[in-house]
Amino acid sequence: MVGLSAGEKHFIYGGIAQDLRTDGRQRLHYRPISVEIGVIPQANGSSRVRLGATDVIVSIKAELGRPSSLHPDKGKVAIFIDCSPTAAPMFEGRGGEELSSELSLALQRCLLGGRSGAGAGIDLSSLVIVEGKVCWDLYIDGLVVSSDGNLLDALAAAIKVALCNTGIPKTTVNLGASPNDQPDVDVSDEEFLQFDTSGVPVIVTLTKVGRHYIVDATSEEESQMSSAVSISVNRHGQICGLTKRGGAGLDPSVILDMISVAKHVGEQLMSSLDSEIAAAEASAEDQ
Amino acid sequence: MEYVDSLTGFRLDGRRPNDMRQIRGEIGVVAKADGSALFEMGNTKVIAAIYGPREVQNKGQQANNQALVRCEYSMANFSTGDRTRRPKGDRRSTEISLVIRQTMEACILTHLMPHSQVILIEFLVHILLKFFMYFLPKICFLQIDIFVQVLQADGGTRSACINAATLALADAGIPMRDIVTSCSAGYLSSTPLLDLNYIEDSAGGPDVTVGILAKTDKVTLLQMDAKLPMDIFENVMQLAIEGCKAIAHYIRGVLLENTKQLECRRGI
Amino acid sequence: MTTMQRELRLSLNQTQRVRLQSALQQLEEMTSLASAITVVADTIPVNHEDSILKGHGTSDLNGEVVATLCGVVERVNKLVYVRAQRARYKPEVGDIIVGRVIEVAPKRWRLEINFSQDAVLMLSSMNLPDGLQRRRTAVDELNMRSIFVENDVICAEVRGFQHDGSLHLQARSQKYGKLERGMLLTVPAYLVKRRKQHFHHLENYGVDLILGSNGFIWVGEHVDMNGENHILADQVSREDMADKSCVGQVTQEVHERITPLEIRTHICRVANSVRVLSALGFNLTVEVIVDTVEASISLNTDIKDILAAEFYVQTAEREVQRRVSLSRKKG
Repeated sequence: MVGLSAGEKHFIYGGIAQDLRTDGRQRLHYRPISVEIGVIPQANGSSRVRLGATDVIVSIKAELGRPSSLHPDKGKVAIFIDCSPTAAPMFEGRGGEELSSELSLALQRCLLGGRSGAGAGIDLSSLVIVEGKVCWDLYIDGLVVSSDGNLLDALAAAIKVALCNTGIPKTTVNLGASPNDQPDVDVSDEEFLQFDTSGVPVIVTLTKVGRHYIVDATSEEESQMSSAVSISVNRHGQICGLTKRGGAGLDPSVILDMISVAKHVGEQLMSSLDSEIAAAEASAEDQ
Repeated sequence: MEYVDSLTGFRLDGRRPNDMRQIRGEIGVVAKADGSALFEMGNTKVIAAIYGPREVQNKGQQANNQALVRCEYSMANFSTGDRTRRPKGDRRSTEISLVIRQTMEACILTHLMPHSQVILIEFLVHILLKFFMYFLPKICFLQIDIFVQVLQADGGTRSACINAATLALADAGIPMRDIVTSCSAGYLSSTPLLDLNYIEDSAGGPDVTVGILAKTDKVTLLQMDAKLPMDIFENVMQLAIEGCKAIAHYIRGVLLENTKQLECRRGI
Repeated sequence: MTTMQRELRLSLNQTQRVRLQSALQQLEEMTSLASAITVVADTIPVNHEDSILKGHGTSDLNGEVVATLCGVVERVNKLVYVRAQRARYKPEVGDIIVGRVIEVAPKRWRLEINFSQDAVLMLSSMNLPDGLQRRRTAVDELNMRSIFVENDVICAEVRGFQHDGSLHLQARSQKYGKLERGMLLTVPAYLVKRRKQHFHHLENYGVDLILGSNGFIWVGEHVDMNGENHILADQVSREDMADKSCVGQVTQEVHERITPLEIRTHICRVANSVRVLSALGFNLTVEVIVDTVEASISLNTDIKDILAAEFYVQTAEREVQRRVSLSRKKG
């Protein structure tokens, strides 16, 4: 990350105050999003999302597993993010670990709900095959290929797109002789069920610079932030999760205002994502 | 298991024994890197990014009078068929990083970016043309970072990494003595097979990976596991070298097209 | 032919893709590649009877001259060399460059200038704040931070390589010095040609545009070349700010000095035009940049839409027209 001089910081700051950022965007405007689906053919679902120079790939694999004893009626989802050294030399070796775990945890919090599994953006009960015995384990793996700020929003968008692209194989269950036996599950190679993504939220990160908040900060703008709040919003305008980063304190009224802004921006982001997904699916079909 | 069908002579994926998989190279996939490239061999997909030449960050690593070349190889969690979380710095990654580094180091003209040696010689030919002569004993230390990220692994990953790194180094404008390309070959069902995919690779037969300097026709990387009789080894190695040459031809085409495009767009 | 989008990944619809391909095709046809394109390890055809001097990017292999870089072969009398494209900036004496301070060292500043090593700006190569021509004292050394600190953006001129191999800069004239109230863009160095003029004051817009030969481009509010007053005023305001001990907070004075919105719109427009032209790979000259800005104004393009697909394609088409008319004028 290159440092910025006092003059440049001042310029960025002034631009945000005047609602004209360095690349001409308004405060609440996202960079153009470009979406590709099915980039990892061997996965059940995958996507690549580009937000300016930020480039992330998400792959979703479904494997058979056992549900946890606490939640025998739910499948399991695990999210792992990795920052590739190709994005920045400082990610080499273990340099990217801190950022990777921060991103993984933030995404888990926003998409998977609480410890009890309540309020998860992803419907875990749709992943169960035989209650208490067999379920689908979804592994969501994200890779940051290139970074120019706003990784969390890009990753959440990529996860949403990948889930839209995910097909869970159909299973036929042959129950064993006794109820204690592990049932035999035939996994179909042909038929797939599209994952239900209507409840999956998007994440809107609002970065506070001075007295104003901006959406989709570039890495230059992120270096100026006093604090950032990431809010995950679903289609119905409900808040599914919230994370605050940065040391500066925020007045509670400010946070409430940010939430309402996030809801509004989240709607627009969702609709633009939907149209991008539709376009990507259409072009994939053409090919 | 029949890796080569005895009747038709086709392999499991429909190729002939001497057929390489579909290859594709693309330059400039990571905007922030000094040079970057994507290389695909069949289903194996690899991105290489170059950062450098730049001043050495960790002075302790500076060894001799040459630019330091560093390499890191990483595999994405989703790159293999069965998804596994790989810890960073596991032995296979370290070994492949070393192999790629040594191969690329052999072809990068590191002595042109050294410590205490002449680096740039531009001669004053005509005063009106304003060229200057610099003798530059340099005291700064330079390093070149090569980062390779595997997106999909379907056999031949180290070859794809070397090919991607070659493209990326050319993109970054780092002087090289030759184009390095790499390809693998094996021996299954009594037939030498070119460019093994994952299934063929894990069949237990020998896997010969060769890297060559295309123009000077020199072998710079040679690795093999398992046993092979000498005469068969020669055939398999020769086959791999043919594959390397074919890739070199393709890479040259990609670089030529890219250079031409950049020059045309630039204008006068 | 790929569209080669590196920085700007745009989703073009079918029509836009076709238009872009045809524009790029026309550009390709127009360029007469009299000088040969070469790829690494290609043999460069030379007349072996002449004594050829092998320059940068070439090496000797069994008596043949072989390229070590991808680029264009240039021949100047007996010198044969390869001009690479996306390689690092190659400094030449007298170049005007823009750099960023990365370290304040005794009697010098180290600057990052997109070269393989950092450049050095000696305290003795800088004008003193009081404008006097005198020897630098120990007090001056201690006050170096009052002139430039880390991360400051500075415009300077390449003085040359010293015997120890380091690259030295000088900033003695009034037109060099710290750049504030604007933004710095990075483009590949090969897109900026060496011209007589690198400082451009775009009067219509009140914008200063500095095209550093190293690929660092400064776009900012116009600053009169009052030289010493400017630096002095800075020092005064900095002391004021330190007194009030409000680091990171906004003071009354700083509020007053925010760039006015109108000039800011022009700055952003110019900056985005530079970004589009750099993404397309076109040479950056002040004429092309101003043309692009004027086109965006006349087309009523929103500033952020300059980076969108439609304007990208239109810029390519405009460039085709421009080069056609240029070649007609010549021919």
